[in-house]
Formats: sequence, structure tokens, C-alpha cells
Amino acid sequence: MTRHLHRAAAVVGTLLGLLPGAVRAQTTISGTVTNEAQTPVQGVSVSIPTMSVGGYTDANGHYSFTVASGRATGQTVMLQARRIGYQATSASIVLSGSAVAHNFTLTTAATQLGDVVVTALGETREKSQLGTAQQTVNADQLNQTFDPNLVNQLSGKVSGVNIVGSGTQGGSTNITIRGYTSISNSNQPLFVVDGIPVRNDDRGSSQSGGGMTGSKDFGSTIQDINPDDIESMTVLKGPNAAALYGSRAANGVILITTRHGAAGTTSTEITSSITWDRPSRLPDYQNSYGQGSAGEFEWVNGQGALDGNDQSYGPRFDGKPRDQFTGKGMPWVAHPDNVSSFFNTGKTMNSTFAVSGGNEKANGRLSLSGENVDGIIPNNFLRRLGGTANGTFQLSDRLSTTGSLSYTRNSGANRPGQGYVGGVLEQFVWFGRQVDMNALRSGYNQSATINNGPANREFNWNYSYHNNPFWMQYDNPERDQRDRIIANGSATYKVADWLNATLRTGTDYYHTNIDADYSEGNIELNNGSTTVDPAYAGAFSLVRDVASETNTEFLLQANKLVNRFDLHATGGANSRYENSTSEGVYTTGISVPGIYNIANAGIAPVNSQAQTTRKVNSIYGSAAFTYNGWWTVEGTARNDWSSTLPKDQNSYFYPSVNTSVVLTDAIPSLKTGALDYLKLRGSIARVGADANPYNLYTTYAGSASKFGGLPLFTLGNALLNPNLKPEQTTSTEGGVEFGLFGGRLSFDGSIYDKYTTDEITNVTVSNASGYGTVLINAGKIDNKGYEALISLDAYRGKNWSWNTSFNYSHNQGRVISLNPGLKTIYLSNFFGNGTVTTEARVGEPFGVIRGYRELRDSATNQLVLQGGLPVSTNEQETLGNIQPRWTGGWLNTLRYKGVTLNTTLDMHIGGNVFSGTNYFGDATGVLARTMYGREVDWDNPGITAKGLDMDTCGPDSHFTDNNKYVCVGGSQNTTNVTSENWFQNNQYVQGVVEPYVYDDTWVKLREVRLSFNLPQAIVRKLYATNASVSLVGRNLWTSTKVPNIDPEFSYTTANNQGLEYGVLPSPRSFGFSLRVTP
Amino acid sequence: MTQQNKTRMGVTAAASLALAVGLAACNNDNLTAVNNNPNAPTDAPATALFTNAVQTGVSRWLGSGYDLRNLELIVQHLAENQYIGNDVYAGVAASSLSGTFTGAYSGELEDLQIVARKGAAASDVTISDPAIIFQQWEYGYLTDTWGDVPYSQALAGDSSTKVLNPMYDAQKTIYTGMMAKLQKAATDLAGKTTGNLGTADPIYNGSPAAWAKFANSLHARDAMRIVNADPTTASAELKAAFTAPGGVFTSNADNAVLKWPGDGIYNNPWAVNFASRDDDRMSKTFIDTLSANKDPRLPIFAMPAEANGQYVGQPNGLTNATAVAYSSSSSRPGAVFYPGPVPYGSGNYGGAGNSYPSYIMTYAEVAFIQAEAAERGLGGLTPGQAAGFYTAGITASMQQWGVKASDITAYLAQPSVAYKGGATGLKQIATQKWIALYSDGGQAWFEWRRTCVPNIKPGPAAKLSYVPRRVKYPSAEASANADAIAAAVADQGPDANSTPVWWDKTASAPTCK
Repeated sequence: MTRHLHRAAAVVGTLLGLLPGAVRAQTTISGTVTNEAQTPVQGVSVSIPTMSVGGYTDANGHYSFTVASGRATGQTVMLQARRIGYQATSASIVLSGSAVAHNFTLTTAATQLGDVVVTALGETREKSQLGTAQQTVNADQLNQTFDPNLVNQLSGKVSGVNIVGSGTQGGSTNITIRGYTSISNSNQPLFVVDGIPVRNDDRGSSQSGGGMTGSKDFGSTIQDINPDDIESMTVLKGPNAAALYGSRAANGVILITTRHGAAGTTSTEITSSITWDRPSRLPDYQNSYGQGSAGEFEWVNGQGALDGNDQSYGPRFDGKPRDQFTGKGMPWVAHPDNVSSFFNTGKTMNSTFAVSGGNEKANGRLSLSGENVDGIIPNNFLRRLGGTANGTFQLSDRLSTTGSLSYTRNSGANRPGQGYVGGVLEQFVWFGRQVDMNALRSGYNQSATINNGPANREFNWNYSYHNNPFWMQYDNPERDQRDRIIANGSATYKVADWLNATLRTGTDYYHTNIDADYSEGNIELNNGSTTVDPAYAGAFSLVRDVASETNTEFLLQANKLVNRFDLHATGGANSRYENSTSEGVYTTGISVPGIYNIANAGIAPVNSQAQTTRKVNSIYGSAAFTYNGWWTVEGTARNDWSSTLPKDQNSYFYPSVNTSVVLTDAIPSLKTGALDYLKLRGSIARVGADANPYNLYTTYAGSASKFGGLPLFTLGNALLNPNLKPEQTTSTEGGVEFGLFGGRLSFDGSIYDKYTTDEITNVTVSNASGYGTVLINAGKIDNKGYEALISLDAYRGKNWSWNTSFNYSHNQGRVISLNPGLKTIYLSNFFGNGTVTTEARVGEPFGVIRGYRELRDSATNQLVLQGGLPVSTNEQETLGNIQPRWTGGWLNTLRYKGVTLNTTLDMHIGGNVFSGTNYFGDATGVLARTMYGREVDWDNPGITAKGLDMDTCGPDSHFTDNNKYVCVGGSQNTTNVTSENWFQNNQYVQGVVEPYVYDDTWVKLREVRLSFNLPQAIVRKLYATNASVSLVGRNLWTSTKVPNIDPEFSYTTANNQGLEYGVLPSPRSFGFSLRVTP
Repeated sequence: MTQQNKTRMGVTAAASLALAVGLAACNNDNLTAVNNNPNAPTDAPATALFTNAVQTGVSRWLGSGYDLRNLELIVQHLAENQYIGNDVYAGVAASSLSGTFTGAYSGELEDLQIVARKGAAASDVTISDPAIIFQQWEYGYLTDTWGDVPYSQALAGDSSTKVLNPMYDAQKTIYTGMMAKLQKAATDLAGKTTGNLGTADPIYNGSPAAWAKFANSLHARDAMRIVNADPTTASAELKAAFTAPGGVFTSNADNAVLKWPGDGIYNNPWAVNFASRDDDRMSKTFIDTLSANKDPRLPIFAMPAEANGQYVGQPNGLTNATAVAYSSSSSRPGAVFYPGPVPYGSGNYGGAGNSYPSYIMTYAEVAFIQAEAAERGLGGLTPGQAAGFYTAGITASMQQWGVKASDITAYLAQPSVAYKGGATGLKQIATQKWIALYSDGGQAWFEWRRTCVPNIKPGPAAKLSYVPRRVKYPSAEASANADAIAAAVADQGPDANSTPVWWDKTASAPTCK
């Protein structure tokens, strides 16, 4: 092997080594290109068009190319410098055989469309030459206000992107670009930081919660990246833009470029902000009836029959003394603010301090950052501490190296539970409206015996189903910590003026600890068994995750002018290695209180361990030809070899082509009147994707816990498949970009059709086959949509300016087919019993919400009632779907001298959500609307619903095929029912969810920033060019059609979205920030 | 060094690197090995599969989901005092037992199939037959709950034929199949002395003789179940069961019992439920029946009501608001199922109920089958033998629940308990069987559907105007295996709670409405 390598290397080396010999005698033409501010301009094409030779400027604005000496015969030629965004400039030079030096200064052109942009593989390209859709958000726009998760800071700013934040501070943010393409696998985009892919693993929770730590959302791991270290984020929206990133790019790519040092300037950056946070939205509660049922309640000893009742259908508040959970007779009155007073005013502080500088040979940047969140939930803290150093070292004219090392410690304490099991807000859904939160707060660390409760419990208002929420937050400590290192290094060798070779390697590594301790008496449920065995003194769980991804890449990049063609070509190879291990231990009972150590386990600890490895090798290339600067045709190709596919299927190839035409350059006469710039683009691309690891052969799952000493094994429920093929996503898109009125108005729009076939899907089969699912390549999902970004400099004055921009995205994902015979695949099943599900259902939009409706009469559409109460339809129906009709953002920047006002309005229009908070909030009678039917007294007047009495319908009455009822000769209902029976009927008896599926329309005033520039005298002392102080606010206003909850929630980045229960409201924040920029 | 040489060196270096990375990328043979799962094996011992299948199957059919929180309510052993959904038949109407159906097949039935295959491959019936017998115990619950279910084509997803969506067999075919398999297993096992499952069998410690008895007893259960649909076959099969090698259960020592370790991980599933939920009270129907004859099992089955210290039942099928009022004035289930000695509230218990055993099949049930067979003159028995079996059944049940001998004698001495024979005798047997089947709600419900005893009526808030005769097919199956369900519906009738299964001939009887 070694000998083969040597021989091959020698042959190739010799071949390539000969090439420079062929261009031996030559004249070098070089110089620097700057703009009006004397800043170097990168990516300028400098050429002698008549001789078809030229080159591009590098990051220092330097260009250099050669003319064969035989062609330099003393003639005068035109040297031209062109770059979109600047006026083309030319100069006469004489080719006399000796080196020529010429510098250009370019003036900015009116249009703003022609930026140089970073695109796939970190290549800088003129935007005019791109045939694919992408959008860049720079630091100013990104960091208007601070959010611990940088993805949230993109919210509302990019077309084609749908971002749904977690309600929980530090929680998971779900981001999808152009819809969901995969049923079973992740639909999150790939994140790439300075050319190195980084992990965005999901540590979210679920709507049903449960498990030792399963109800807590530990966030998606991309939030380890400090937003203030980011120079820009570029969203490559489809497979078209991202074919070169391989499998994971089917969902789009987010390229993050971090700030770097630059030669010649030493500068300082300071960003610092503090905000105060409150819950943005809490349910509207009733304050007339207290705990209990059927109008009755009396506290006995915390263990009496009615004491356990966690509803508010008890007696009307009459102010008279009544035995309550405090253990004594107290006035029976409401505590209207009991829920809101549970929350603290949180505080979020963050600071980044960075210095950068250097010279032509070496420059670098060092940044330190800290973030400190005191949560709105008592005793919940989040901390982030990070440091990043990066540098560039020019070893010689030809060899330059870069390196970057960043370390982040991200820690959290006492994150709140959410969801149906273990959620904080869950308790306030099953609640007594008379409960005095201050009594719970001041008494949480006292024994339950003070109100005659059980000796091994903390003081609480209910001993059957709930723990004191303060006790949960203070006496059941949860600590989590993630240490993360992202390191990369690269060396670029300039083989020739037109050819660079780069070797780059990078690793993203993190280690996560999650330690959760449960005190004696913690009765939060864990899927039917108790978290803490009541016979023991507490419980605990430990989780240790280690994950890493290493990429090593070799790239050859060529930029050359040949005749009238600009050529950009790239060829490369990459090797990716992913590894993750997760180890866990828990016990449901410890012997001695307070010692959360395995040695103190009273019940045998349950251990778990899992390791996952994946390796993918790739080679790829791209070539783009631009004719005369206005017509570009580009092709890309990639072949992957993935470890997760069978040996004979593990190689897969995928190509793409795209083209763009700048019509205003091709046909200069178009450039009259208002039109400055018009570009059309189109592309078609395919991306293959591999399977998850270990999906070829069904295995047996062992159990770390032995049954009375006996080992246990069970066969996995998924029949895996040794014949898997890669799945394929094919995308076609077209776009138009134009600028009007001297660049004051710009438009960038795309239309696309993206479909995924051969989805690697666990399709549901009859469990009677012995397996619940079979892994196969089947199904087709189609996403069609359009998106647009329009920006207008509405006013440009000496003192005043106003820029407004609007982005709009519409995506419709549909499930075209699944495995033959299969109708649906469940994405989530809230109660585990099909009461309400989200599904990928053949012929319907992706993510339909399904459940039972209230039965209605076919002819009159009146409710059909039985005993005065609605009844369920026979079959479940589609009640909505999770995809919004459209999303958008409206951004405004208003400047008056040194004062700037920025606003971001985030819009999410249409789509549906099922709200479990509303569903159970009705059943428990805590919501204000459950006053209906008991306004006067407990069951007076009650409710005599309008509808047909089913029992009076004649013998020919029957159900129809469309899930309705034909009531023949029935009469109106006359039965009066109590409010309690009315509001519990759908939940406890009928399982009807239809009334709780809402139009998920919401509009949020996401960001407001009012900033004041500091005087230059101060700024200069800070080694900076700009400094400002600002008033900032996030989520200041929400308007929505969904009652009682914050309609923006995600729980997780997985595909089980759209079903809500006990979600925490995202914080509304207000504060100050200071920013000093170089 | 000249510029050219520098260039050449650089190019050579770059090309070598390119080649190195390229070759690494192309060396893809090793990739396959990266994908070998380090976490779980592709094969596992039959013994470990068997142990797991038994404990999983018992938690499924005698646990809290199917049994405690559904069928114990339908047969009115228990009632719900709050969150009353299942007590008004929401559970069976909305196919919320979906997971019970799907989990049984892809869980323990599949694992047992593999155990049977491994046993067959080793020509060792002491490995394969216990697995087959336990499968038939489960298939009985499946077919009696849903009617036609997959049987002959089931568990063949990984076979060469790859049946991913098996057909549903007619219930009659399933019964024929179950009884044939039980008979064959009993015959195979009766001659063996050593069982190779050994201690991995948590029920019988691998004893072939014990498994043969269990097979024959299950055979008898199945045979009696079909007595209204096919009395001739029932009689022949009863006789086959009673006379098969190894015989049926003859005492509580023969009972099929799973002893729970009670170690905090594998606990009695009812105890787990009562540790955190306080939603169940004793049914008025059950308490009234027990009280009428001063049944000594009453203080074991139930606790005194908190409000008055009396044994009081709650009516079934009330609205939530009405039911809540019974919370303190009616009896909670018996202390044996609670994980500790403190009777009231939840979360306060100490430990004993966690290891309370689950009864898979008991001698008491076998004795009542024999009593009924005798009274009906089936299976080679004669009416004159009925009283003896009836008394044996009551005695066995009481001993099983820990009743003192003197209390048993006193109970049996009551004229209202004494066996009366004839139609009254059949009713007495059915009533005693319903009592003895407390904690096995599935069997109690199947027997009620066959006998209409005792007199059970839906509660006032019930979603259905009748006691359910079957459970609707799981939504998962309706989606994945729609054609097979359509064929099953064509065979047995609409997929409704009112449709009687094949052996259920009493659905239209006035006493049973």
C-alpha cells in the first residue's frame, strides 16, 4: 500500500510539477484595489479583456496575474477592474516585458445587490454570478437584541426560513428551511462555522414529558456559539445552494462566518447588554370558584378524598372561613395573581470583549464572552462563558495558515419541567384558583405535617398529584453543563496565481453532564411509575454525553480568466467522522437523604450506555463559467461513501447545475429609467442522504436491570434493512433579483419545487407481523413554495434616513406517497392513544393534526347531543396542519443623525396548533371561559346547549360516510347540564379535540432597538470607530388567535411539533445595551 | 531555491496531500465495519428472551392499562371516582387499547416466537413448548377482546414470506389452532422430567410437568369459552383437556403465578398504579355481591371507606362531578395491592404490595370450569360432580387470597352459598368465577359476555347504552393493515363495541342487555 502511494504521488507530483514550466517566461501585472475609503476590496476581477487574461483580488485587495512574455511586445492595452457593486474602471498600461504595477480605486455603484458573498465551501463569489438562492444577515442586523440562542436572532429576518423558538429560556429552537423534507430524520439545516460543520444536537423534551429528565428542555447545542463573535450568517436555502455540503445539506445550510482580525488595525469590540425578563403571556384564569368538584371542597388532612382533587369546580368564593391547605380555616377567596406571582423578573446579562489586529504577516482576534441568565422561573440559572482565538499567519507569499480555537462552557441549573408530566405550568392547569402562592413560597421547605399532610412530603396544596412548585425548583436540584471545544486549522498554498490548494481540518467536541436530584416525596410521574419510590429518601439520575465530529478536507480552487470566460473551479475531498456516546445511571430510590451517589442507591441503579459512530468520505467538485461577466453556468458534483449504508449501496453520486444571467449587463439598453439591475437565475440539484447508524440489522435490546437476577433481552421492534439505498432530494428553483431607482429598492425572489424520494423511513406495518415498523426506502414528500425579500430605502436625507424591508415565505409540503398500502406515519401521538396526533398522511399536507370532532347533524350542522352533551364522531379527521400558510418579517431602520431605531416584526400566519393547556384548562375549570354555565351559581343556570337531542332522533337516523349524523325527526335538546360536566365531556368522556385545534396565527414585535451613537472623541479612545448605547426590547408585544398560551413553542428540534401542553411562555425582555465596534 | 523550484515543491506537496486524502476517501471497505452496532447483539439467548416475554406479557394483560384501568371497570369490580373516562367506556370506544394489541404482537409474542424457533432448532420441546403455551395464553386475550385477529400469518414479518400485514383469522379458526397447539405441547412435555429453561422460567422454573398442566388448563378454558357457539366441539375439547397427559390444575400449588421481585424496578403493576393514582374505588356491584354473602374476601379485596369505615361500593359510570362525591364514602381497593401499609391518600406507602404476585391462571378457575362442565354434562363429567367442583373452586379462591380456613367453612355453610344445581347452579358458578377473577378483568369480562352473570348495566353517564361486547380495532392497525381489517369486518360484523365475537351468543339475550 505504502509503495503504491509513493509511486502514485510521484507520478501525479511530476505531472503537476511540470505545469509551471510551461509558462516559464512571463510578465507579471499586479496591484491593489481599494474603495473610496481606502479599504481593500476582495473579489475584484482585474483583466485585460483583449488578451483574455486576468485574476481576482484577495482579501487584501491584491491582484496579480501574468502574461506570457511572448505576448508582451510593447503594446498598449486596457486593464479593466470590475466588481458588482462598483463602477467598472479601466486604465491603459504598456506591456513592455517588465512587471507592471497598477492600483485601482473603485467607486461604489448605486445598486446594493452585487455584494461579494460567502457561499458553499467558504468560497467568496460575486452574488451576480450565483444561480442559487441565499441570504446573508450581517452582525448589525443579527445582533440588534440579545437572545441566548443565536438561531432566535435570525427570527423574522430571512425569507424561506421558519423559526419557532422554545418557550423555555435556553431551550430548543426549531428551524426549518423550505419545509420538512424527511419524515423520520432531522429537518434541521447544517451549521457550518468558518468552513467546519458543527453539531446542533437535540436535547429537547416532549409534550408528554416524563422520564427522569425527559420533561426538561436542555436546548439545541448550536446555542454554544456566541452571537457576538459572528460577522455574518448566510443561509443557503436549498439543496441547490448546498449540493457541495453533502447529505446533510438537503435541509439547507447556515454558514457562520466569525469575526477575524485584519492587518494594520488594532481594534476593540465591546458588546454588553442587560435585560429584565417577564413571561410574555399567561392564561386568562377565572377567579370565582375554588378547588374542588361538584361545588364541594373541604381540606381534611391533605389525604382526604376531596383534598386530592386538582380542579377548580369547587365552591364559589364567598370569603367565608373554610378549611384549606394551609391547615386552618381561611377566607375562601381567589388569588388572581397566584400564577403570575410564581414567576420572577428574570435578568439576562451578556458581554463580549474582543481585541483584534496584526500586520500583513500575522493577525488575529481574541474574544471573551460571558452570559448570565437568571430565569423567570425561580432558581433557574443559565451561564455561558466562552473564549475564542483565531489568527492568520502568512508564512510566505504562497503559504498562509489560519487557526481557530474556541471553548465554551454552557451550564444550566434547575431548568423548569414542561409538558404533561413534570411541567411547571401543567400544575397551574390542574390547580385550585384559591391557592395562595405566597404560602407555597414561604412554606416549601417545611414539612407537610404543618397542614397534617404526609410526614415524608413537603408542605403543599395537594398531596395526590403535585409537588410544591417552589420545592421542585429549590429542593430538587438539576445541574447541567456542557464543555465544548471547536478547533480548526487550515493551510492554503498558492500553487499558481490562479490556483490555491487548501488543507483544512476541524473538530467539534463537547461533553455534557446532566445531574438531576429528586428529594424524598417527589411524585412527578415517570411514564406510570414513580420517579421517587415513596419508600425511599429520594432519587437521582446522571447523564454523561460525549459527542464529536471531525472533518478533514483538501481543496483545490482555481480562478482564471480564459478568453471572455471567468472560471471558478473547485475540487476536493473530505473525510467526516462522527462519534457520540451517552451513558446514564438512575435510581428511583436512595437510602440516606441528600446523598445522590450510586453507592447510596437503595434500589438497584438502572444503567444505560450507547455509542454511535459514523464515517463519510466524499469527493466533490464544481466549475462555474461566467461569460462577459453576465452569464454564468455552474455545475457541481459529489460522491459520498457512507458507513451507514450497505457495502454495495454505500456510494452515491449527486450533481447540480445552475445558471444566472444579469440581463441589465447583457442588454445594456434595459438599464434605462428606473431599472438598475435585473438578474434571472435557475437551478436544478439533487442531494443524496444516508441512513442513521446501525440501521441495517435488527438487534436485541438487553436490560441493565435484571428480573430477580435474571437477564432480559427483547428483539427490537423495527425490522431493519440490509438493503437500504440512499434517499434523494431533488430541487428545482428559479429566481429573480432586481434593483430600482438607483438601488433604493431591491428585490430578491425565488420559487422552488423540492421533492424527496426513497425516504429512509420506518414505515408502520401491522404489529402482528412481529414488528411495529419496517425500515425501507419509500415515500415521496414534495415542498413547493416561494419567497421574497424586498428592501426599500424609503428616505435618504442628510439627517434622516429610513430603510424598510419585508420578507415573505410560503411553503406547502405534501406527502405524495408512502409505502404502498400505508396511509400514514405518526409524527407525534400526544397521549400515546391516538386522541390527538400529527401525521404524515398520503395526499395531505405534511404534519396534519388529527382527532375526533363533535358530532353534527348532516342537514342542519347542529350539534347532536346526548344527555345534553356533545358526542364524538365515529372516525378521526384531519383538523388542521402544522405548516403556516406564510411567514414573514418586517424590519425597519429609522435614523436621525446619531440616533437609530430598529424594529423587527415577526409574522406567522395560518397553520394550526393543538393546545393541551386549553383542553385540560377547560376540564379543570381554571380558565376564565369555564365560568360559562356557572356565572350565577355552581349549577344554576347550567348549560342547555343548542343542538338536536340524539335520543329523540327517529329509527332511520344514522351515521353518514362523511362522519356526520342524519337525525330524522329529532327535537331540540332540553337537558340542562352543569358547567363541570359540559367542560369535561370532551376530555374525560368523548376524547374530542376539535375545539382545541386553533388557527396558529401570531405576530410578535420581536425586536426593538433605539440606539444613540457616542461622540467620536470617546470612540477614538476606545480604539474603535463606532460606539453606541441602546434601549432594547424583545417580544414586547404578541398578537395571536390562540387563546391562553404563547403560540410559539418547540420543545425540541425533532419533527413532533404542533401539539402543545404546559408550554412555558417565552420571556418579554427590556433593557440596555452598549456596543463598541472597530 | 528558485521561485520555480519553490513552486514545484509546493505543487508536489499539495498533490501528495490531495492524493492522501483522496485515497483515504476511496478506501471505503473499512466503512462497513464502522457500522457494526456496538450497543446490541444480533442474537440473544432463548432464556433471557423468555424471562422478559413472561414479565412483559403479565404486565400487559394483568397490569394497569388493559386490566386495572379498563376491564376491571367494565366488569364492575372497580369504579372510577375521578377522571372517569374509562368507567364510561371511553377507553374501548376510542381504541385506546391500541398499544395493548400492538405491543403484545411485536413485543412478547414475537420474542416467544423466536424462543420457539430456537427450541425447535435444538429439538428441545422444553424450550419451545412453554413459549408456545404462553403465546396461546395471550392469544386468548387478543381474540376475546377484539374477535378476529391475526393468528396463522402472525409473527412472520421476518420469515422468507415477509408477511408484514397479516390477515385476520376467523375466531373459530383461532380457537381450533390454540387448542391444537396446547394439546400438542402438553403431550410433548408430559413425558419430560428436565426443563431446560430452568430458572429463566419465572413461573414454573422450567418444570415440563407444570407446563403441561398449565397447557391443559388453558385448553379447558378455551373449550368452555366456545360452549355456546359449538357445544359439541366444546365437550370434546373439554374431555381432551381433562384427560390429556399431565392433567389440569388440581390445587393452588399448580397455579401459574408470576412473583414480582418488588425491587423498585419490577413491581406489581397494580401497586405501581396505586402508588401515584387515587382514581379507583370498589364497584357497588362487586361490594354488594360480596356483602350479600358476608364474603370473607371482602376485607382483602377492599378497604373500609374513609368516611365511615364501612365497605361501600361506588356505582359505575357516573359523571366526574357525581363520582367525586364518592371519593371518601366508598372503599378503595384492598391494601394487598398498595405498596405499603398506609391506607389513604397516595404516595405514602411502604413496600409490600410491590412484590404481590400476579395470577396468570388459577386452580379456582379450573374448578369452576369443571363445575360448569359437570352441570352441563360436558367433557365426560356429570351433573352430580358439579357441587364438589363448585366448593373446591370457592375454597381454592379463598385460600389463594389468604382467607382463614374457619372463615371458608363458615362461608360455605351459608344456605345462600350452597350449590343448588341446574340453571341456578350455573348462575352460582358464574358468580363465584366472576368473584375469583378479581384482578384478571379480561377473563372476568369474557366470562360475563358468555354467561351474562352477574347483572351488569352501563352507568348513567356511559358513552354506550350497553356493556361493550368487544373493543374496536386499534387505530394503528386501521392505518397499516386496512385491507385485513376490512376482511375481518366482513367476517364478523361492523368494527363496533356492540358486535359480538363468534363465541358470544348471549349478546341478544334480554338478561344480558
